[in-house]
Amino acid sequence: MFTFLLKALWRKLWTLFFVSIVSFAVIHLAPGSPSQIDPMNPSFTKEQLERYRAAFDLDKPLYIQYTLFYQRLFTGQLRSFKDNQPVLGKILERAWNSLPLFLVETILIWCYAFPLGIAAAIKRNSLFDKVTTVLVFALISIPGFYLAYLGIIFVVENFHVDVIGLRTFGREGVGGFYQLMDRTWHLVLLSVLGATAGIAVLSRYVRSQMLEVIGSDYVRTARSKGVAEDAVLYHHALRNGLLPFVTMLGLLIPGLIGGAVILETIFAWPGIGRLGYEAILSRDYPVVIALNFIAAVLTLIGTLVSDLLYMLVDPRIRL
Amino acid sequence: MLTKRFLILAPTLVSLFLFQSYFWVPTFEDQVKGDPGRLTRYISASLGDASILNPTLSADAASSEVNSLVFEGLIDRDLDLSFRGRLAESWKIFEEAYLLVDESLKLSDGAPATAKVLLDRLNAAKRSQAQALRLVQTIELLPGATVTEEVRPPAREKRSQGAQPAKVVIRRPPRLKFTLSEVDQDFFEELDRLLGGYVKRLDPLKFVTAPDPAIAQAVAEERISATEANPVIIFNLRRGVHFHDGHEFDSDDVRFTYETIVDPRNLSPRVPDFEPVKSVETPDRYTVRVTYKRLFQPGFESWGMGILPEHLLNREQLRREALRAGKDQEKFSVRDSAFNRSPVGTGLFRFVEWKTDQYIRLARFHDYWEGPANFKEYLIRIIPDLLTTEVTFYAGTADAYGAQPHQVARLQNDPRFHAISFLALGYTYIGYNMRRPIFQDPRVRRALGMAINTDEIIRYVLLGHGERTTGPFPRQTDYYDPDVQPLPYDPDGAARLLSEAGWKKNGDGILEKDGKPLAFTIITNSGNEERSAIMVIAQNAWRRLGIQVQALTMEWAVFINQRVDKGDFDAVVLGWSMGLDADIYQIFHSSQTGHFQLNFVGYQNPKADELMVRIRQEYNNERQVAMAREIHRLIAQDQPYTFLYVRKNLALMDAKIVRMKPGPDGKPQYLPFVPNKLGRVNFHFDEWVKTPTPVLPPYRSEISAR
Repeated sequence: MFTFLLKALWRKLWTLFFVSIVSFAVIHLAPGSPSQIDPMNPSFTKEQLERYRAAFDLDKPLYIQYTLFYQRLFTGQLRSFKDNQPVLGKILERAWNSLPLFLVETILIWCYAFPLGIAAAIKRNSLFDKVTTVLVFALISIPGFYLAYLGIIFVVENFHVDVIGLRTFGREGVGGFYQLMDRTWHLVLLSVLGATAGIAVLSRYVRSQMLEVIGSDYVRTARSKGVAEDAVLYHHALRNGLLPFVTMLGLLIPGLIGGAVILETIFAWPGIGRLGYEAILSRDYPVVIALNFIAAVLTLIGTLVSDLLYMLVDPRIRL
Repeated sequence: MLTKRFLILAPTLVSLFLFQSYFWVPTFEDQVKGDPGRLTRYISASLGDASILNPTLSADAASSEVNSLVFEGLIDRDLDLSFRGRLAESWKIFEEAYLLVDESLKLSDGAPATAKVLLDRLNAAKRSQAQALRLVQTIELLPGATVTEEVRPPAREKRSQGAQPAKVVIRRPPRLKFTLSEVDQDFFEELDRLLGGYVKRLDPLKFVTAPDPAIAQAVAEERISATEANPVIIFNLRRGVHFHDGHEFDSDDVRFTYETIVDPRNLSPRVPDFEPVKSVETPDRYTVRVTYKRLFQPGFESWGMGILPEHLLNREQLRREALRAGKDQEKFSVRDSAFNRSPVGTGLFRFVEWKTDQYIRLARFHDYWEGPANFKEYLIRIIPDLLTTEVTFYAGTADAYGAQPHQVARLQNDPRFHAISFLALGYTYIGYNMRRPIFQDPRVRRALGMAINTDEIIRYVLLGHGERTTGPFPRQTDYYDPDVQPLPYDPDGAARLLSEAGWKKNGDGILEKDGKPLAFTIITNSGNEERSAIMVIAQNAWRRLGIQVQALTMEWAVFINQRVDKGDFDAVVLGWSMGLDADIYQIFHSSQTGHFQLNFVGYQNPKADELMVRIRQEYNNERQVAMAREIHRLIAQDQPYTFLYVRKNLALMDAKIVRMKPGPDGKPQYLPFVPNKLGRVNFHFDEWVKTPTPVLPPYRSEISAR
């Protein structure tokens, strides 16, 4: 077990090293340059562009830029091109804004996907199953931004309330409870929209997983012994059916920094997805690469955690 | 069964909790009723966040909006776009001109050109009211001096780096200093005529001795010039103006702002505006004297730049800040200071807080020298999406917003909103690469322009929200010549012009000349639907004439860096956003056609070149207007671009916002908006208020070019 951990960590460190190189190279290979040194600004002279490039270290060879970059990242010295603020501080602030969204979305996904999937599996080929199947595929296929616009227009036109941003803007001096509810309301539409695709996909998995388990020998045995149907389904079948989903808990970790790029932009949500999106548009290299790197770290941690979880819940697996 | 119940209850409860929050949120109407504070808060929506709240360092639109509220410049533009004093009460512009005295030369009548002789002759000429000296107020003689210096060889040549410094002797000759009551770019021309060609015979190289002629040449160019013309601006500053922290504004702040811009460590994007400045002096607390190295009229406008507080950003303060933050004191510059996220200026509003990508909050400044604003707070809300901005506006959580043409139809006549339409400052065009042989004939360029139905583009692509333009100047300014007629839409005429130019149809219906077909590619950047549409319309129109046209969109960075900057294109669809000055040197002067320069179409016209140089040196508005109109006519004649249109912008505003002034009886008096010549209604922003219900009918305005 211990040696497994050490080995896994070692392998993951290597992966991380390669990720760091690739993510650094990709952004520098992409066409364009930071918006601060936009050559289309008529008032810029060549010398000035050079001075900017020097200030951003862009005049140095790539491998030196690479070392400088990661050195600054690890010592917390890294600063954004755009506003000269520390990158880690910016990321942390945005991650904090994305966190409630991530939590509510996850809760919604898990709360809805399981009942829906299980019901569809139990009532296989029934009308309910067919309706949910169609609905689910519709939700997966409609682009998120389109649903978002429809949702926003529907709510604003019919209910005349604000749905954009963290809270009703310009409303101040109201009590703490109103504030809390106002913030909750601003989470609703965004998280429901964010969760739809998740619910659709996850409920499909749950359905097929349940179908597989329901058809297995031990369930037939339990039924033939005369165990009540509810007990068979929710006690015997569900337990084994849920096994694979335990590992998904680990894979949730990178979601902490993933954010929803398009939805956050549409809803003017100051979250991490929008930070990354805007950084890419303005070629704010420090922010883009740092985000990439942190996401890689979290993904690797996530896979490690899910490996361990699997070991924990399934005694057949030994490492 | 517990599990089953849980599976059903959990989603129900979660949903119930989430949706009940709706009942605690105010609607559009309730926001004003339930929260009277909302009426004193002005909310403007912005697509992008600010980046740096320091007028000397910022270059983006969002930062500029905030900076223009927090900071104030010495001057700005009045309703009719003439200059108006802000932190400067008044100003005077005159010229100081210097002329070398070379005593070894002889005047035309054989007399030796000593300083005394020159001075006597000039004074005599002035008494007899010579035309050349009509503006001269005083003539003084400045003594010369001899200096010996160590100079490094010119760094242009790489190989000479590290070479030994050379000893150079500069015998600075005496000079005559003329003070002119106004700036005159032809002064030395006329003086030369008066002195019989004396001025043109002066040779600075005579006064430098160096071991290497290249060094002597370089030093002579840099240190001694036969003539020197320095425009001088004297600003008389307004007294009793205070910064938001209570410190009084004075001439040191102006000098400091200038020094901040030109300090290379600060990487200010405004260096080019201030590069022609020779010195900024402060004779007393309320006087600033700016001397320019050369005649450069567009430089005047740059004094509208917001003035920084010297007492918060001087050397000593920065040193302390660096010490507190544990940073290197030597490297710490204004760019690193926390000031750029919590600025202090003299403007109508003072800075309160900035939540990145959410909002920037400003509060009114009670000691503003012209009286405080009516609104207590000004918030800039950042919403990165256009449709969401519109929806936010409906929901009442933004007071104003700039609509796109396709959004206008559903809002323009809504009684809840004011709608103000105004022309933008930029224009969209098709540019032809005149390095390509096919585009060298002006008839071809004219024919291509005539084949395009610009009126239809305006009607269908812009949904009517644009006006045609015929030349390089903004239509709102006097520089634009209204008599220049736009190209007619005339495909038959275009075909005739092409055949005049030697392009005849071959058997396949393709235009041909010397066996080569007329074929080229038109490109534009992706992500701009307007430009893509124009590209396709042009392609279609040209194909009908028998031209083989390919159309391509490409990603902005590739488009600019690989194609436009390197001159590797045939035709482009692009736009310029313009300033209000008459300076188009960088875009159309023939010296600006190199790689990475802005005259990428390679336009050359010696007459226009000369005018573009002269117009920058002209300080008289009337003469500038005359020159600009001539440039406009020349460019319209040559058609380096097919000038298409200027967009109209539409600003929408909550109809509850009006101007308010205390009337003679002390009761508030409500007035409609007065836009300036650019169509901006917020010229009188300090008088704006938001009333609980609309008090005036919705303001509708359609501001046309003139």
